[in-house]
Amino acid sequence: MAGETFTAYALVPAIAALPFAAFLVSLLFGRYMPKGGALAGIFAMGGSLAISIATLLTVAGILPGDPAYHETIWQFATGIDTFDLHLGVYIDPLSALMLVIVSLISFLVFVFSLGYMNDEGETGLARYYASLSLFSFSMLAFVFADNILMAFMFFELVGLCSFLLIGFWFREDAPPSAAKKAFLVTRFGDFFFLIGVVGIFATFGTGLFANVTRDGSTVQSFPALAEQMMNGQTPAMASDMLDIVGMSPQAWITVLGLLVLGGVVGKSAQFPLHTWLPDAMEGPTPVSALIHAATMVAAGVYLVARMYGFYALSPTALAIIALTGGFTALFAASMGVVKQEIKQVLAYSTISQYGYIMLALGSGGYVAGVFHLTTHAVFKALLFLGAGSVIIAMHHNENMWDMGGLKDKMPVTYYAFLSGSLALAGIVPFSGFWSKDEVLFEALIHGAGGNPLFLVAWAMGLLAVFFTGFYTFRMVLLTFHGEPRTETAEDPHGVRWNVKFPLAVLGILAATVGFINMAPIAKLTNLHIDFLHTWLGGSELVAEEFGTGLHHYEVLLEEVAGVSAAYPIGGEVTTMLASAAVSLGLALAGAGLAWSLYSGPEPVEHTNKLGGVKTLLMHNYYQDEYQVWLARDVTLPLSRAADRFDQGIIDGIVNGVSSVSLLSGDRVRRIQTGVVSNYAALLTLGLTILLVVFGLVGGWF
Amino acid sequence: MAVPAEYYLVLSAGLFCVGLFGILTRRNALIFLMSVELMLNAANINLVAFSFQWGNLTGQVFSLFTMALAAAEVAVGIGIILVLYRNFEDLDVTKATTMRW
Repeated sequence: MAGETFTAYALVPAIAALPFAAFLVSLLFGRYMPKGGALAGIFAMGGSLAISIATLLTVAGILPGDPAYHETIWQFATGIDTFDLHLGVYIDPLSALMLVIVSLISFLVFVFSLGYMNDEGETGLARYYASLSLFSFSMLAFVFADNILMAFMFFELVGLCSFLLIGFWFREDAPPSAAKKAFLVTRFGDFFFLIGVVGIFATFGTGLFANVTRDGSTVQSFPALAEQMMNGQTPAMASDMLDIVGMSPQAWITVLGLLVLGGVVGKSAQFPLHTWLPDAMEGPTPVSALIHAATMVAAGVYLVARMYGFYALSPTALAIIALTGGFTALFAASMGVVKQEIKQVLAYSTISQYGYIMLALGSGGYVAGVFHLTTHAVFKALLFLGAGSVIIAMHHNENMWDMGGLKDKMPVTYYAFLSGSLALAGIVPFSGFWSKDEVLFEALIHGAGGNPLFLVAWAMGLLAVFFTGFYTFRMVLLTFHGEPRTETAEDPHGVRWNVKFPLAVLGILAATVGFINMAPIAKLTNLHIDFLHTWLGGSELVAEEFGTGLHHYEVLLEEVAGVSAAYPIGGEVTTMLASAAVSLGLALAGAGLAWSLYSGPEPVEHTNKLGGVKTLLMHNYYQDEYQVWLARDVTLPLSRAADRFDQGIIDGIVNGVSSVSLLSGDRVRRIQTGVVSNYAALLTLGLTILLVVFGLVGGWF
Repeated sequence: MAVPAEYYLVLSAGLFCVGLFGILTRRNALIFLMSVELMLNAANINLVAFSFQWGNLTGQVFSLFTMALAAAEVAVGIGIILVLYRNFEDLDVTKATTMRW
């Protein structure tokens, strides 16, 4: 705009537009381009990454500009006496951070794909890169969405792209079926999300995440309106809605929050909608990295963080989020213990780690949740790309029992993978330790502060730490240590720079990204090095005007949801240290158990010692079976009955009515002779009769 | 010494009945066409008669239009009759009944 100084914000829409352009280019011209259109995607993602970093720096105040930004891009529906629908951009510390994460991971995944797809001579590369670009586009636009309808639209696009990419090898049997499963299961959750979106618009008349200024007047966000509703100043529209549903403001907010949570549970693969995620491993490994670290699965928890001001108003919704998270963390970790394929272990670890993020968000640890989202994005992308590198080396054999001894043959992959594994297991000082520790600490203190449900979730999360340490090191030991167990493992296929470069970048990040928020050290030394905490606290602009700052959430949590902290072991510092020590101890115990069982040159399977539990775990607690049972033995007969009702009774009535007219029509048309003279006679006769009738009625005679 | 309007009306009614009789009783399509012309002209006589009666030229102008219309109608009618003849090798309208149902 003329007269205003140019800031990085002017370029924010391009963060999403660049990958979209790359999508079009790859789709239309990819097959004529070198590398199957990969370069378009790489350059687009590089551009997005640069703009995202510039945006982050602007939010941080290093580059000139306001610390937060809102812009309406396109208003596609203008309501008369009601709400408008629009697409817009909202940049605050949270979305700026997430933009950098997503564009960084996407960029590295594009580079890695050169090694995983191009060098392996895959076909359909143009389609692959087009879908990948569309995936990044959808996720980036989802991240900077300023209202929940736009978020929903891009949420769905993310789901579509995951469908396209999981089913990339559509000529085989398993991938299309896995893609369909991912699509249907997440769609089941999204159905509730859609109802929630409609409910939010119907109640508050807006879907904005933050209070914005438009045409000189302030438009309040729906979390802010909900807050007013809780304070007794219900807007007219909202009170009409409350009368219709007949609920108290708190109950209705809880219902809306839980409806939206349906979409979150589906996308973020939380129990009971987690079953699609392990199957999604059928897709190419770089896609798994993208899905698990930065896009699809992250979208769910990001949505909770985005509208945290809304969830903070409902203690019930928070407790449900925390319990779902804690339970999922433990439940998925236990299944990861017995898996034989490297990607399956990683899949269950993803479900489990997202459980932690949900646990943190649910138990009032907003910073902890975002922190774990950040560190997890880095180390899980690293682990998947590392697994991809191993899979290239092993000629696409994913069974860990066929590997072994890869440590010396692929050192870059090994050390990067080890860095990611230490982070995943939560070993100090790798990134996962800091974030997981903070998640558990927050759950503990808020649970001790009078919320026993949080304590239950915390206990499950804590137990999962042990399993995480165990399965992580079982995976590392089986893959990289010992003697090679097959000929392929003895002579693995080499990998090139385009595989090693992303691994190296992420390996370093996985070790160091935790330093952005070393809460225990900050507390011990009284240094202000918990940067993420400060960052999410945001500036006054974010806190006062837009209403998405951390301090605002903390007040809400304490005053409305009744989430308060208590320190069960001495003071804050001792509790924090004790919590860190316990979780580190459990992680080390798990890792140690894995070491004692699976180290040595010739490890053997120990899963049989689990007895009946092994069968249960191998079958994933029969989750698939019971869902298939639900579909086949409950839903199918029901829909059959409905079909019979429709075909028999509804259609029967319609057909009966139409058969009457058919029959009578068939009879009546016989009066048509086709002889012109008859028609003329009838015409004349009719006219004569009419005249006579008129005459009689009119009294002519 | 004007002729009273009733005389014209009687003439017109007679002409109309001749046309109607032709349509109801004859089978030849050409006769049909001629009968229709007779009925149109009966209407024309009415128009001119009333126009004369009221001293207003509108009716006469209308009868000119009717003549143009009748000419057009004959053109179309002759075309139909030609096709009729080609398809049925006859002009008997009672035989062309193949499109009834």
